[in-house]
Amino acid sequence: MVRFKHRYLLCEVVSDDPRCRLSLEDRVLGGLIRDTIARVHGTFGAASCSIGFAVRYLNAYTGIVLLRCRKEFYQLVCSALPFVTYLENKGHRYPCFLNTLHVGGTIRTCQKFLIRYNRRQLLILLQNCTDEGEREAIQKSVTRSCLLEERSDEEELSDNGGEEAAEAMQ
Amino acid sequence: MWSALEKMPAPATTYERIVYKNPSEHHYMKVCLEFQDRGVGLNAAQFRQLLISALKDLFGEVDAALPLDILTYEEKTLSAILRICSSGLVKLWSSLTLLGSYKGKKCAFRVIQVSPFLLALSGNSRELVLD
Repeated sequence: MVRFKHRYLLCEVVSDDPRCRLSLEDRVLGGLIRDTIARVHGTFGAASCSIGFAVRYLNAYTGIVLLRCRKEFYQLVCSALPFVTYLENKGHRYPCFLNTLHVGGTIRTCQKFLIRYNRRQLLILLQNCTDEGEREAIQKSVTRSCLLEERSDEEELSDNGGEEAAEAMQ
Repeated sequence: MWSALEKMPAPATTYERIVYKNPSEHHYMKVCLEFQDRGVGLNAAQFRQLLISALKDLFGEVDAALPLDILTYEEKTLSAILRICSSGLVKLWSSLTLLGSYKGKKCAFRVIQVSPFLLALSGNSRELVLD
């Protein structure tokens, strides 16, 4: 009942350059966002946002980043994200921007959103792909994800059925 | 009784109620800048630059762009009357409080009077001298 509440920001790193995503590192990105918050919101913003700030999850292949910040100051972080314009790694500067996909209160809700989002992205990729080999690979991933979805739905239903049966017995 | 109310015709006039919580959009501050050493002068542009750099240090570029106006400025006494929108009053006042130096010289802002009405700044009972 008395705990520190956080907000988890799910963002996507979008860039023209394909090397930009591969050079993503959590410490580099964390430092970059902290510098941006200090520039945009000053000493007050930097101090208030950096207490609970952390990069929780980073996927270099899809460019998905999960940031954590305190609930009281998440709006400062959210408003500073559009000011991140480049990613610097080993002396190379890649222009990019951060697209906020979802704001959640727990990692679990962000994960659920990310699963649904990835399924939709697979279908969009299937429409847009040109190569036959790519098309087969994407179709395989789509069918696999549908099977996983059915299985997880069945598990949820069986859990609910179990609870209802337990209530009926009482 | 409910059916009778439903059959009543709609009133011809409609009422609109406007509630003003804070009638004034701006706050006015009378401030004075004091230096530790004497003989330091600033013109109006340098004074404005000092104010904006104080805001930028503490609250960043977003709040350095608050609509701040210097209504009057006296170079001899280094005192000024500032106008700021009401949402930015706390930010301006705290950044003036925490401003410590200008070009390496120690200085401090003294806030003499703050009011949502400009007319109130014309008279100050604290500076009243009773004969």
